[in-house]
Amino acid sequence: MSSDVTIRISGLWKRYGLPMPRFIHRGINLIKGRNSEYEDGDWWALKDVSLEVRRGETLGIVGRNGAGKSTLLKVLAGVTIPTKGRVEILGRIFPMIELNAGLNTELTGRENVRLLGAIMGLSRSETERILPDVEDFTELGEWFDKPVRMYSSGMLSRLGFGVAVNIKSDVVLIDETFAVGDLKFQNKSLARVRELRESGATILLVSHSLETLQFVAKRGILLEQGKLLADGSALEAINAYETLVFRAEQKRVEHRVRSRITSEDVNIFGARLFDQDGNTLTEVRAEQPFGIEVDLHIHRDLEHPMFSLGLHNMAGILCKWNVSKEDGLIGPGPRNHYILRAWYPENRLSTGAYEAHFAARDAATFETLERIAGIINFAVIGPERSRGIVCGKVEWTLIPFDEVQNSTGSNNSISDDSSREQTYD
Amino acid sequence: MSGTMSESRGKYINVSSTSRRFARFFSLLSALVVRDVTSRYRRSSLGMWWAFIQPVVLMLLFNMLRGFVNIPSDGVPYILFSYTGLVPWTFFTNSVSACGPSIIQNAEIIKKISMPREVFPLAAVFATLFDFGMSAIILAILMFWYKVSVGLTLLWVPLLVILTIGASFAIGILLAGLGTFRKDFIFATPFLTQAWLFITPVIYPLSSVPEKWRSIYMLNPMVGVIEGFRSVLIKGQSPEIKPLVLAMVMVILIMSISWPLFRKLSDYFADVL
Repeated sequence: MSSDVTIRISGLWKRYGLPMPRFIHRGINLIKGRNSEYEDGDWWALKDVSLEVRRGETLGIVGRNGAGKSTLLKVLAGVTIPTKGRVEILGRIFPMIELNAGLNTELTGRENVRLLGAIMGLSRSETERILPDVEDFTELGEWFDKPVRMYSSGMLSRLGFGVAVNIKSDVVLIDETFAVGDLKFQNKSLARVRELRESGATILLVSHSLETLQFVAKRGILLEQGKLLADGSALEAINAYETLVFRAEQKRVEHRVRSRITSEDVNIFGARLFDQDGNTLTEVRAEQPFGIEVDLHIHRDLEHPMFSLGLHNMAGILCKWNVSKEDGLIGPGPRNHYILRAWYPENRLSTGAYEAHFAARDAATFETLERIAGIINFAVIGPERSRGIVCGKVEWTLIPFDEVQNSTGSNNSISDDSSREQTYD
Repeated sequence: MSGTMSESRGKYINVSSTSRRFARFFSLLSALVVRDVTSRYRRSSLGMWWAFIQPVVLMLLFNMLRGFVNIPSDGVPYILFSYTGLVPWTFFTNSVSACGPSIIQNAEIIKKISMPREVFPLAAVFATLFDFGMSAIILAILMFWYKVSVGLTLLWVPLLVILTIGASFAIGILLAGLGTFRKDFIFATPFLTQAWLFITPVIYPLSSVPEKWRSIYMLNPMVGVIEGFRSVLIKGQSPEIKPLVLAMVMVILIMSISWPLFRKLSDYFADVL
């Protein structure tokens, strides 16, 4: 693989709309009776993006909605011009962006393939050459010669994708096009992308499916509000993206108490997250011990106060639930102002955003004195992606079956378990 | 902020051979024309006949009008006289009004794939050219019916057709470019073409225009076109040189303004569609 640069972007700024001198906007506003200043003009979709992509590289682009991913692809495709900066592309570029562009519903599938071929930059003979492949790839059968207006949406997408994947190009831009058709068709499409990659094409890929990105892309970049925030391996970019999303989710729900049951007997003044040294934390690193502190006032002499803390992830799943009494906090609580501390020495929470639910009860009467969903919100940020509810690595080993048989005598752990093992034969 | 910032315009460079781009332009143009022509009349009962109906109905209307008002026709049967004017005229107005929304209609393509955007108004013109050919068949029948003798002057026809295409494209591309940003231009198109009809010798001859106004009158490029068609088709004469040359000059002049303006505007089509 040669290491020459295929795409060179330097200092790219993009603002949408026709750039017009200020006085024209003032004039238009005057006519329309608006006296507001022209605001759209200050909104940049891309801010000072510089990037180089080499031949044969597969670059995944991640970012939240409106981060500028699609704008970047549009500028690269030459659909819209850069407002400032320079974009250079060496070679034929092909955008696989929502492939139904230009389908005419009155024409048949075959006629549309000819049209799409021309739109996508093929000559007539090139289109005729790929036509059998497209017919084969789309699996439309007799529908291929029926008007496209009779197609289902899945069939439409297959038609567009069928043309797109059969076009040879030096640079391919892909935007959210994998969610087309059934699983079998998706796998076929992914295989075609892999083929493209192996043929030495440079691929730029935008997808909200992080799984797809992780498997297809080698390099990744993260865009946020038009700025390039991270540039590294695909996994690094995905991690940076998730961190960003978790933080944003946490901000969104921060100090927003969702539901609250309260009584005269307990008052809650505040809650915070703290680390080993008692310093306040805004977020927790994966596997870092942390504590939750609640500042509360009890107005009634309680014989057995009982507190509980539940940690919910963003999907609303309860990941951890602890009750003070079960964990050994037993004793009376006369009326006073208290700081309640709950320390989590073993933090196994998977990366993500969390919401803590707190409740105070009287264990003698089982009366709920105070319950707050979302007393505190925090994000768990990891250097690595974790899946599922808990984090942590698993030690994997792949042992040939015969060797396991031979070593049963010597290996204690396996022979211990073998007594409980069920056999299914 | 935007006012004070110095706007050094962005650059987009794609290194690919010019010949390729050229070939691509023509394959796209022909595919779009085929699409427009084949899909236009599908699912209509009269189908291709619509291409004949419009000029024929107009011709009949103007013939009725002539029943009340005295319109000279240079000694030619009025049906033939008006129809020879109406065939190129309907081609001109239809293609101009097809150009206007051509960018908006192809928004899905323009938003996603880069290409010279001239291809869309140009395809609109060429798709209308097909209708022009259809209505010309009726014209040929009429000419045969009135026993018009044709000669070598027919060799002027290709030039006149090219000139009509040029005029349609020059005006159409202006409407397409501006109409993409402000729909007002597209809404105004029917009024524009209707008004234009009255300053063009379609239903009356150039000879009925007062001599002192004629020089200004002939700045309308369609004057040279319509009069030219009439001379070579029914009078068997070469076109008058003055209106023809003026028409060519005007078409080139309009195009030299409208095309660069369209190019400039086309950079931002994807932003507003």
